Amino acid sequence: MKMTKHVLNRRHFLRATGVFLALPMLESLSFADVKRYARMVNICATLGLYADSWFPKTAGIEYEPSEYLKHIDAFRDRYTVFSGLGHQNQTGRQAHNSEITWLTSAEHPGLDGFVNTLSLDQAAAEFIGYETRFPSVVLATNNAQSQSYTKGGVMVPAETSPSALFTHLFLQGDPASVTRETQRLTDGGSILDHLQSETASLLSQVSNSDRRKLDAYYEALRSAERELVSVRAWHDLPKPTVTQEAPADVEDRADLIGRFRAMLKLIPLILETDSSRVVSLMIQDHGVVLNGFDAAVDQHNLSHHGQDESKIAHLRQVENVIVKTFGELLSNLGERYDDGTSLLDSTTVLFGSNLGNANSHSAKNLPILVAGGPLPHGKHVAYDGEINTPLSNLFVTLLNTMGMEIEAFGHSSEALRWI
Amino acid sequence: MAVVREYSVGKRFLPNLIVSVLLLIGSIKAFEEEIEPLLAATCLACHSNEALSMLDFTKLDHDLSDPAVFRKWERVFDRIERGEMPPAPMPTPDSSLLEPAMAALKEALIDANLERRGPRRTSLRRLTRLEYQYTIEDLLHIDPEAAKGVVVVLPAEADSGGIDTVATNQGISPLHVRGYMAAAQDALDVALQVGPRPNTGMFVTNYAKSNYLRFMSNAEILGGGITKVLDDAIVGYFDGGSTYMFHSGTEGYAVPMPGRYNVRIDAYPHRNLKPVTFTVESGPTASGATAVLSNMLGVYDLVDPDGRQVELTTYLRPGDVVTPVPYVSIPAWVYQYYDPDKKIQEYEGEGIAFKTLAIQGPLFEQWPPRSTRELLVGIEFENGEPVLSKSPKEHVRDIVAAFAPKAFRRSLSDQTIDRYSALAEPALDDRRDFLSAVRVPLTAILTAPAFLFQSGDDEYLDDFALASRLSYFLWRSMPDDKLLNLAASDGLSHPTTLKSEIERMLDDPKSQRFIKDFAGQAFRLYELHATNPDPRLYPEYDSRLARAMSEETELFLAELIDADHGIRNLIKADFTFLNRRLAEHYRIANIEGQFMRKVALPSDHVRGGLLSQASIHKITANGTTTSPVPRGNFVLTNVLGQPAPPPPPSVAGLEPDTRGTTTIREQLDAHRSNTVCASCHLSIDPPGFAMESFNPIGGFRAFYRSTGSPVTSDGDTFEGQTYPGPYRMGMEVDASGVTPEGDTFSGFTEYQDLMVEKKLAYIAQHFASQLIVLATGAEVQFADRDAIKNIIAQVEPDDYPVRGMIHAVVQSELFRKQ
Repeated sequence: MKMTKHVLNRRHFLRATGVFLALPMLESLSFADVKRYARMVNICATLGLYADSWFPKTAGIEYEPSEYLKHIDAFRDRYTVFSGLGHQNQTGRQAHNSEITWLTSAEHPGLDGFVNTLSLDQAAAEFIGYETRFPSVVLATNNAQSQSYTKGGVMVPAETSPSALFTHLFLQGDPASVTRETQRLTDGGSILDHLQSETASLLSQVSNSDRRKLDAYYEALRSAERELVSVRAWHDLPKPTVTQEAPADVEDRADLIGRFRAMLKLIPLILETDSSRVVSLMIQDHGVVLNGFDAAVDQHNLSHHGQDESKIAHLRQVENVIVKTFGELLSNLGERYDDGTSLLDSTTVLFGSNLGNANSHSAKNLPILVAGGPLPHGKHVAYDGEINTPLSNLFVTLLNTMGMEIEAFGHSSEALRWI
Repeated sequence: MAVVREYSVGKRFLPNLIVSVLLLIGSIKAFEEEIEPLLAATCLACHSNEALSMLDFTKLDHDLSDPAVFRKWERVFDRIERGEMPPAPMPTPDSSLLEPAMAALKEALIDANLERRGPRRTSLRRLTRLEYQYTIEDLLHIDPEAAKGVVVVLPAEADSGGIDTVATNQGISPLHVRGYMAAAQDALDVALQVGPRPNTGMFVTNYAKSNYLRFMSNAEILGGGITKVLDDAIVGYFDGGSTYMFHSGTEGYAVPMPGRYNVRIDAYPHRNLKPVTFTVESGPTASGATAVLSNMLGVYDLVDPDGRQVELTTYLRPGDVVTPVPYVSIPAWVYQYYDPDKKIQEYEGEGIAFKTLAIQGPLFEQWPPRSTRELLVGIEFENGEPVLSKSPKEHVRDIVAAFAPKAFRRSLSDQTIDRYSALAEPALDDRRDFLSAVRVPLTAILTAPAFLFQSGDDEYLDDFALASRLSYFLWRSMPDDKLLNLAASDGLSHPTTLKSEIERMLDDPKSQRFIKDFAGQAFRLYELHATNPDPRLYPEYDSRLARAMSEETELFLAELIDADHGIRNLIKADFTFLNRRLAEHYRIANIEGQFMRKVALPSDHVRGGLLSQASIHKITANGTTTSPVPRGNFVLTNVLGQPAPPPPPSVAGLEPDTRGTTTIREQLDAHRSNTVCASCHLSIDPPGFAMESFNPIGGFRAFYRSTGSPVTSDGDTFEGQTYPGPYRMGMEVDASGVTPEGDTFSGFTEYQDLMVEKKLAYIAQHFASQLIVLATGAEVQFADRDAIKNIIAQVEPDDYPVRGMIHAVVQSELFRKQ
């Protein structure tokens, strides 16, 4: 990837894009610095994307854009669309369980003592750590469920309120609440310190099987304390301020697109201010009849179209708008700065679904698209639709672009080849 | 000796381990020797041929220390033991071959299981999120709703496929630690309330005089009026607007602070011929006037022409609104919005006349509240402010000395109390105010391993650990003073004491938490709201029906325990719990009112028993369609405890088709012609076929409803009530089948009879196993099966009474040991 060394007047540039950075923290950080880092965004439409409307019929560079991809065809040089990718053995306890393994590739979710594994975004977050104020930002459109899992298989809860996220990222609290938070962090430090010694003394008294659990708790306390130190350091630095107004939450659950768009709008701000370099967003089942569409049934119901023509038509209506709205993110990230570069150059954006066929809950042949980053885009890369290539192969590639020198992730067989 | 390396234990354990490894090798050898003749004589004919079976004995390893291999042999054992293998018409193997082979296989499986698991069955487990919630509710004496609000900062329990108390499936991470710290702070915010006593206000709105409603009802101004103004009331009907017409927010009431509020609503029926229903709901106001009503507080029928006053107490937070919602449908022609004609005035149909809404609160029994007084033991209050009577450090120590033993659920040494108390010292030395200082040790206690984990060191639980296990089992929360006192005097573990404590605990309202969580996990009731039925096909579904569905199942399980019914009632019962809404759904006449009550079922009625309940039908459907596969799997996994393995990776799922040209049965028949598929589907499909008679919302059906045209049904009627269509009548339902044992059934009822006749022992065993898993936090593994059978043997002569089973579980070795 080409990167201009030229240092911009960051303030000037950011003002132009609606971002204004507070002094003094980022005064020393040049725009070139910000752009130098690799970033990742992962977005999952958990109710699937109707295959006939999503997948291009032909492979290669010359592929004809499908019904859905037409909406983002303006960016076709900046993304790759894949077919024939999937995770193996996704039959789970519940039919939609594959959504919890989309970013992890763990097998048989929810069955028989299932423990999830590290997710793509959390692997990157762990690698970056507190170099940014937030190692990762995890978002969802409807509830706190997410697709982000820590090494021990613990779900990182998602933020669903754009306004809360905005406050968290960009607004300084009033002096009283800052003092209270400082006190909380200080007390937290001494509490964690105390609990480590309590746990250590317990460790010497318990049997082997208990020791493993207590060890895990001890480790968790230690990491929490280390994190607290970093959080404290960031707490002492002012947050980046942006000129953009705080977004209002879209209260109506039926406004899926409104909620999706509100989250998408925040992603460039998160990346530009380097608040985090890893963002995941889950487009969830809202469980209600959606506003703005002809369908009289909710989206989950539409996805179980049962080959009913009118249902399929209604489903496509919703999904067309989802893909089109996703295009707004590509457009925002793809906007070029004065030096000809864009955030998209340094950000890989994974978009797709954990379901290949939502009507039958099949998790094979997933709709997957990757935009941005230093990758050779502009193709439909078609793998075998029956015997799928592990989606985790793509994850290896994506983590490599984040600067992680790994050869395997989850159930990968190798880094993905762009055939 | 790879096994020894994997198993990292201290040197002093090594001699024992070597003995056990040698034993293990011995049992594997015996198993290899004994099983070979059986395989050769009976099994290999099919099980060495890929086309006939996925199991190929010539390729199956004997290394039982490999979990995948172990699982296969375990399944071999199960299928032979249940008589499923060899299948008819193959002859049953000669007992001289079968018995030694099975005995050797059993021994080898037990040895391998114990070897892998280690000497103890259970390991340290942490409180689940729900247990944490109930525990802080009981420990801090805070409102249940407030406790529910606190735990949202804790990571959710992962879906491990089992009950969430199981230690091996529980994650613990820095995320948990941060969550626990935040939750402790939030819980203490709720518990510690000082300062001047807030005023308890009284708000009354007279709807007929409400400017807002008079304005909104005036069709000439808005053209949108769908409420009718009477002298003493405003009449409401159900439409999209009815959730914002009557709520407390637009009437000018703002909830001043979180707390309990008393709500009273006066209403009477308007022009009704039969009972009309309204609900009282609450939730946060969203943008504009629209209320998001997330809590249904109550459902009420109006019968008496003079109406009634309904009264309830509920928890409200600032921003919340309360509203009555009239569930009386109204024809579309009446509520054309922005239509200048006052059609509503001409409308003669039934409605609900709302007279008044009154809200009183926040309510306090005392101030500062009990939560504050119990926590700040030894501190007096003047005008709500704490007054210290000795040095702050001494007060801190008193508080910690009273709180920590309750939180840790056992007696503590003075040194432990001192260590926690000392945490307040830096803050006190910094001259921070007393409450902020005492919160430091309290937060530490609520984040300590002794609080968060269930402990116990000896092979047999000591009395304190037993008190915890018992109370987390039957109350899903910490032991109360009585249990802790019994434990302190070493009296709890005596069988007669245990017996009377179990009785006391089951009779306590806190046991409802156990029933809810057990139903939620063991019978998946938590998934009830996971899907929404297609409103075109199932227009009669609504949130009131959903509420009644889950209540039916919970009340039913509670009744099995309360009345000590035999487990056969789980499958087939002559009673259930209904209100008018659910009774109409079930086509049972003469049930008045929206409260749930026990109802004796007519002997020829299809309802009665868990598998006849609408909740289960909805959980096992996807909202729009049903399939015998998830329903069959529910019966195998959650009722019989004999789950089928997941399908091989190459098999595609069935593609639902609602066009009405093919039934799922036809698709499955095609599926089953494949021998590999058939081996599992022979067991999965029959219970699913039997449940085909129930649609995705648990209605009984003779025909499938289908989409598309022509529309052939406008719905049906029952007792004067019309069940709306229109939908297309699809194909006829066929609920017949053949069990793997070869018994035929014509429909659901006959299948129930077969289960009661032939499967009760399995059902009882699985029920007891699930109780053991929930209580002990460890899966029931192969090596525990004999212990489960011992429990079952005790209740078998009495036909497996459910309450008796709980007693037998608690008195068992499995319960009382680690």
